[in-house]
Formats: sequence, C-alpha cells, structure tokens
Amino acid sequence: MLDFQGYGPRLLEGAWLTAELALASLAAALVIGLVVASAKSSRSLVAKSVATFYTTIIRGVPDLVMMMLLFYGGQIGINMATDALNAHLGTDWFINVNAFAAGVVTLGVIYGAYMSETFRGAFLAVDAGQMEAARAYGMSGWLAFRRIRFPLMMRHALPGINNNWLVLLKSTALVSIIGLSDMVYVADQATKATHQPFLFMVPVGLGYLAITAVSELVVLGLKRRFDTGFSQAT
Amino acid sequence: MADSETPLVVRDLHKSFKDVSVLNGVSLEAHEGDVITLIGASGSGKSTFLRCMNLLEVPDAGELIVHGEHVAFKQNKKTREPASWKQVERIRSRLAMVFQGFNLWAHMSLIGNVIEAPVHVLGVPKKQARERGMALLERVGLADRADYFPAQLSGGQQQRGAIARALAVDPEVMLFDEPTSALDPELVGDVLAVMRELADEGRTMVVVTHEMDFARDVSSQVIYLHEGRVEETGAPAEVLSRPDSPRLRQFLAPRF
Repeated sequence: MLDFQGYGPRLLEGAWLTAELALASLAAALVIGLVVASAKSSRSLVAKSVATFYTTIIRGVPDLVMMMLLFYGGQIGINMATDALNAHLGTDWFINVNAFAAGVVTLGVIYGAYMSETFRGAFLAVDAGQMEAARAYGMSGWLAFRRIRFPLMMRHALPGINNNWLVLLKSTALVSIIGLSDMVYVADQATKATHQPFLFMVPVGLGYLAITAVSELVVLGLKRRFDTGFSQAT
Repeated sequence: MADSETPLVVRDLHKSFKDVSVLNGVSLEAHEGDVITLIGASGSGKSTFLRCMNLLEVPDAGELIVHGEHVAFKQNKKTREPASWKQVERIRSRLAMVFQGFNLWAHMSLIGNVIEAPVHVLGVPKKQARERGMALLERVGLADRADYFPAQLSGGQQQRGAIARALAVDPEVMLFDEPTSALDPELVGDVLAVMRELADEGRTMVVVTHEMDFARDVSSQVIYLHEGRVEETGAPAEVLSRPDSPRLRQFLAPRF
C-alpha cells in the first residue's frame, strides 16, 4: 500500500475541490457563452460590440494574468465600494472575496469567451428554416430556443464544448495561486515537505485522467441524445 | 364583404427590402372555404406577400385582420414592428404555414413534429394531441411512419407530414409557400392530392404555386402578381383561360 505520509485525506479533498470547481466553472462558462453568443448574433450594435470586446480581451490575455487581475483587482474594487458606502452610512462593512467564488468567476469568464465562439458557430450551423417554422407556429422566443434552436445547435456545439471543458478542467490547477487547496496545491505542498514528487504528482495526474474519463462517457451519452434524427438518415 | 367572421383580410400591403420595393399595395380577402392561389414570376412578390400574412416578414404599411382581430403595429424611426409579439404569436398559431423546404424539425420524430405546436403552444394535453396527431398522419397516409425522423423520409412524405403538422393546430387559414417546388416530379402528385382533399372539405387556404392545373381545378380565386401589384385576379376559369393582361398571357403562354 502506498504511504501518502498523512497527505491522503487532504489529497482526496483536493481532488473533490478540483471537480467541484471545474463543474461550477463549466456551468458559469456555458451560461456566459450562450448569453454572449446570443449578443453577438443579435441585431443590436451595442450588444455586438460589447460581446466582441469581451471575447477579444479574454482570449488575448493569459488565464493566469486574468485570474490574478480578477482576484486581487476584484478585492480592491469591492474594498473601494464598501469603503465608500461605509463613509456614507457610517457602517463598518468588509467583504472578503471568497477564493472559490473568485475561481469560478474567473474560469467562467475566461471559458465563457471560448464557449461563446463555439456556440456562435453552432447557431450558424442550424438551418434557418427550422427556426422559421418555430416562429410560424407561434412559438415565443424562449420556447423556440428551448425546443428547437438549443437541441439542434448542441449537435454542432458538443465537440467544441468538450474541448473547452478539458482545457478548463486543467486550468483549475491555476487556482492554487489564489490560495485554493485543489489537488495540485496539496500535492505541491506534500512534495515540498517530503521531496517525493512522483508519489504525489502521479496520483494527481491520474485524478485528472479519472475525471476526463468520466466526462468522456457523459459526452458520449449527450452526443447520442443530440444526434437523434440525424444519425438515422436512410 | 369582410366582417369579423372573415378568416383573413389583408389590405394595401407594402414591403421593401432596403431600397427594393417588393410589394406595392396588395390586398386579399380569404373567406371561409376559399382557396386562393397566388401566381406570378419569381420576384413578383408572391412569397413575400404570403410571409407577411403570418408576419414572418413585417409589412411596411397595410392592414392585417385575422378573424376580425387587427394586428397592431408601432412605428419606429425607420422600421415598423408589431406592437405586441404576444399577439403575433397568437395569430401565427391560427395560421399554419407549409414551406417549400418542408422545415420539419429534424430532431423530432414525425409524430413529435405534429404534436409540438398543439402541446407547447396551444397547451393541448399530450395524450390527446397524440391521438389527434396519429389520425392526421393516417389522413396523409403516413401512420406507419409516425416514429420516423424527417431525414428518413422522402421529400413527398416530409411535405405530407408538414401538412399534418399544419392541420394539427386546426388553423383558420393554411398558408402554402410553393409546397411542391422542391419535390421530385413523381412525388408532386401525392402532395397535391392531399391539398385537393383539404380544399374539398372546405379548408381556407392561400397557396403560392406554379402548379397551374392545381390553380385551375381547385382554387376559388387566382391572384396574378406582377412587380408587387395585383395585375389580374378573378375566378380561375376567367383569369387562366381568358387573361386580360398581356403580361399574364405571356406568363401563361409557355404552357400552351
């Protein structure tokens, strides 16, 4: 039996945190991606410009820089806001930026930009007649999105989403620099204390592989779901 | 004359795309049981006219009255849009459209396509919608294809399925946009046969078509559009057999 020298439980906790962080960030990135993709394909010039500005900035700046900017910059921004409020109201508020929330926001904001491009391409790949029929039968915008556009678009978006998700998962390792004890952070500490990098880093690698293996299964199921009506062509 | 019982009244419709004016004041009145065919060369505005009727295109000017209900518009700086999309959605659900390209929803089975609008737009219970949907598929000869997906069906089957989808919302008026133009010649007959049956049972229909035999045999009124205007209209026997307008004569000429 491998002896993790007392780091075993913390390593597991770290793996759990990595999974939680990755899934929460994925959810945030998907929502942001959909909203931004819709903004980009909207008729409003303002919405289009804001969305394009956002994706240009995010995709051009390293994740690590972005994370530090949002974490430290976010804290400073919130401090300034609470200070101003305190001065006005005579209160003594202080909001500490939660590192997990900061991680989710950062990863969500970064990967939302990539997701938006994936979604935009997928929206364009859906035959316009499908949405026209939805409108012609009296569907509201939301109903048509939910019943027609989204399921048709997902077939095209799924490979891109999967790609982004795998990169996102591995980017969660960056959160150790803002003080979150994900599995990389724990393994790094353990390695420094024990000088046994293989003992800790190999399990971490396997941990990521385990998560991606499970996610491949989920993606396979989703692919089958969204291919309905297309794979059965005569 | 039009009254509140008239299924569809369109008055003096105008529509331009950018600087190109496509409709220059066209009108139409579809009474209960009317089959109105719109004919004309491509670019004459007949499809745009039809698409204005359920507001897939928003007309720049003109009136649209569905069963006595006036569609309300509001004028923006340059464009006009419906005042209430809720109203538009309600009206659209009463005017079913059959498209040239079928446009059956590709990710749903045929029966799924047929019950989609009744269940999700009109709020019909699923079981009831399914029973009615199956009866409609039976009518168009596709009961044994209910669980097939559009990609597994021929063009003619898809179009008959699309007609079943249209019938499922029990529409006041059925709008057909060149329903046979995308079909192989040998499949056109099946679709036209279904449309003839619908006409015989008194369905109110507006049909954009190039099928002159259908226009002659089935319609109660033919409207010939030219450059966004009604060039000639009347009973098919008159309009198609003794056209007044030289342009219509020329349009019909290659067929004789």
